[in-house]
Amino acid sequence: MTIIAKVWIEEDCITCDACSDICPEVFDVTDDSSYILAAVRTDGGFDRNESKSTLKSEFGSEYGEMIMEAAEACPVDIIKFEEVSSAGDETTDDSVVEVAAVAEAAPVAAASVPAADAGVLAELFAGDRNLLILFGSQTGNAEGLATKTAKLAANYGLNATVADMDGFNVDSLSSHKRVLIITSTWGEGDMPDNAEDMWQSALKSSANLSSTHFSVCAIGDSSYDEFCKAGTDWAERITAMGGIEIHETALCDVDFDTPWAAWVSEALPRIACVDDAGVFQSELLEAMIAYGQGSDDDGQESGDFTPANIEQAEMAINMRIFRYDPASSEYGWDEVATALPGHATIQDALISIQGKVDGSLAFTRSSLSGNNPLTGVKANGRIVLADLAQISDLCQDGGTLTVEPLPGHEVLKDLIVANDNWDAARVASKPWMVSGPRSGEYLENGSAIGVMDSAVATELHAIADVSSLHLIQGMSDCMGLDDSYNGPGLALQRWVRSCDPRSAESHRGAMMDSLQNKGGIWQEADFATISRQGADGERAVDSLLDCRARLLAEYNFSGRFGRLVKSYASSVKASGNVNETTLYRTVLGPFGLASNIMNGVSLRMMLGFTRTGGPMMRGFQGMLVPPAGIGKIPDMFNARIHDHHEVVAIFNELDSRF
Amino acid sequence: MVKYSYYPGNTARQSSIEVEDTIQPMARSLGLDLIDITGCNSDGGEIICQTNKLLQLTLNARNFALAEENGHDIVTACATSQGNMFAALKTLKSDPVLCAQVNSVLEKTSDLNFKGEIKTSHLLHVLVDEIGLEKINDLVVNPLRMKVAAYYGPNMQREGACGDDDAFNPQYLERLIEALGGEAIDYDSKTSSVGAPSLLTLEAPVMQMTAQVLSDAKAAGAQLMVSACTISHSNLDSYQSKAAKVSRKDTNMPVIHLSELVAFALGHHVDRFAQLKTRALVIGG
Repeated sequence: MTIIAKVWIEEDCITCDACSDICPEVFDVTDDSSYILAAVRTDGGFDRNESKSTLKSEFGSEYGEMIMEAAEACPVDIIKFEEVSSAGDETTDDSVVEVAAVAEAAPVAAASVPAADAGVLAELFAGDRNLLILFGSQTGNAEGLATKTAKLAANYGLNATVADMDGFNVDSLSSHKRVLIITSTWGEGDMPDNAEDMWQSALKSSANLSSTHFSVCAIGDSSYDEFCKAGTDWAERITAMGGIEIHETALCDVDFDTPWAAWVSEALPRIACVDDAGVFQSELLEAMIAYGQGSDDDGQESGDFTPANIEQAEMAINMRIFRYDPASSEYGWDEVATALPGHATIQDALISIQGKVDGSLAFTRSSLSGNNPLTGVKANGRIVLADLAQISDLCQDGGTLTVEPLPGHEVLKDLIVANDNWDAARVASKPWMVSGPRSGEYLENGSAIGVMDSAVATELHAIADVSSLHLIQGMSDCMGLDDSYNGPGLALQRWVRSCDPRSAESHRGAMMDSLQNKGGIWQEADFATISRQGADGERAVDSLLDCRARLLAEYNFSGRFGRLVKSYASSVKASGNVNETTLYRTVLGPFGLASNIMNGVSLRMMLGFTRTGGPMMRGFQGMLVPPAGIGKIPDMFNARIHDHHEVVAIFNELDSRF
Repeated sequence: MVKYSYYPGNTARQSSIEVEDTIQPMARSLGLDLIDITGCNSDGGEIICQTNKLLQLTLNARNFALAEENGHDIVTACATSQGNMFAALKTLKSDPVLCAQVNSVLEKTSDLNFKGEIKTSHLLHVLVDEIGLEKINDLVVNPLRMKVAAYYGPNMQREGACGDDDAFNPQYLERLIEALGGEAIDYDSKTSSVGAPSLLTLEAPVMQMTAQVLSDAKAAGAQLMVSACTISHSNLDSYQSKAAKVSRKDTNMPVIHLSELVAFALGHHVDRFAQLKTRALVIGG
């Protein structure tokens, strides 16, 4: 897991929006530059973060990988960041086992006090926050609990270190203000093997532990007479050495999870209230408990959740890979028989082939963060990201997996496609944020920050909640056949911007114009090609249909597209079924109909009976209002369906425009 | 007798009237009872949803409710209609709040209620999955004896909407062609769109798309194309010569509907079949 400590923007941002598209939770692109949002920073500022203020812990860890991805995607390479350094590097004592995740998270967590508690706990968090967790373990249970305890300690702003009692210098306890001991009991009330030496040292030690607060979690078996004796011995000895027991010793039977959980939920907030001077601040306990609970909502922090290790059986497949050599302008197919685990991705397969079969194979690889929206390919007809799509989802054992470049794009080499057209169209239409005046609040540091209702923000996010806009671009069947079309991915981006309440009204108008006019969304010939491509395609089409509906309303059903929709709906309302003949006339107009006559379309429709073998005319309308009713040209007038009034009522109820 | 509520789609009783000429004779031969949904309306094509998704959903829900009163699942011969109905059904079943809203309108306007007890299929999937290719093969009177390219289009080629067929590399139509005594021709663009919803609005790219499908099939050696989509048939047939002019590709090929293909092989409309074979021979593969 990648945890980012700091992220900042250097000068010369081109405000391209790439960063905010990838990680809108951290980046916000203004007219001048990309900014780091105040909500994620410990200093609450809203600027490029030139001061390199740290990120709040939950954001540094949650969005770490997305920040790295945004940095990689930045075309001018001005997004800089620092990762939290590995605690393992700082280990100096062999007996001390640093828990990396805890050590990484803790310093940041200490700074991530919610605004409501800042005044109460800020001073406490500002000082030393070290916590020592000692374990005496014979079978590993106590060690495991120590590790879990360390992870939970981060929730209370503590920087926990887990240490084995074996080799630990007992006299050094006096330098620790906060100590937790978790130990099992071995045999008839004996210390576990790894704790015996330290225990003997403790019995002889004259160290003064008067500034050390501690608590003990004792594990034992109640069927033995000396139940949990090792733990109670430690509690008594440390008290005798002057230590202050912050919470009573927990006595855990063989089913130790529940009593340990109860102990840790009490002991941790209490010991977290020991301040920099070693004084227990009892008045802060309530705030500390609330703070700890607030940062443990998702269960993932607790360390109790372990993702399943999903593995699938090996598959033998035949891979057909498109190859293109730009030097000779030759293209063709490579066929490679390979065996891979079913959970391998297309990218895994390509890397394997590149390494073992043909080093010249070219394809776009995943980014450092593990997912790259530019790795789109066509695999067995499906438009997918090569670094996410698993082989087992695309073909069966013994089957063939055909991998082609993303459709609708110029192929540079093998599976690598050019994104020049995308970039050019994007720059031309400027679908990035141009904000207008809006409501906001002032932060404590005086900086202004815009606010948005959470429901609006969620809806805005959902509009383009797809894994890759480039992938959506590749789903359209007409992209490669219509040079003037900017594509559905770009249209989706513009639609989001036009729905964004932060956009200036003039910019929103410009976005709508770009969607309505040449290159816009009306040049998508068939949404079905997109919606059939799974959840991403369905999501995109759902949004783009909303876009078209808004365009029709705002531009008053203008143009051929508007006439088509209005005439179609009107004819359905009029009879219950669409009337193709009136639809042609209304939409095409006299010039369009003339074009069809010149190009032979009308004649082919009239003479359709010569191809189908059907009758020339099926009723009187062919004689009364020709060419309607002749050949394959339908009648001019539709018969109304049974209970037609019900359809009229539905239209009247839901849309009175028709 | 296998019974279905029959939804003709938007063009089977208009510009694709040959579907109506052939589907009932075909059904009778196969023991398939296609019962009209009395009073059914247009499903909105892919058009009405562009201005009002709820309106299109309600129009579909009305048809579903009428079919539920019939007591039989819906079958259509149009891939676009199957795609639209499948999407509408999926939305209604997955969003109970929206479904309640639609039902409220239905009850108020039509005294109908959609219960969600129905499913929709395309004729192709009923033929392969319900009737069975073996039975169809047994009933063949006039084997096709032609090289036939199958055109599916994109609308019904999505997970869940096309029976047990592969959505992206379908084989049902090819298997049916073989069962009818024809030779199925494989080609790349059998699930590509011909831009039917934009036929009247985006002339040049739609003609390019249409020509791509026809020329691909022609290049693969097809003498005849069978379309599982009645709406797309207009592009492939009536606009064939215009597509050739715009794209400068060879698009000349007879294109027929699925119901025609099956009906001809089962011995119906022998004169039409003879005429078709003559055209295919004259035009050539």
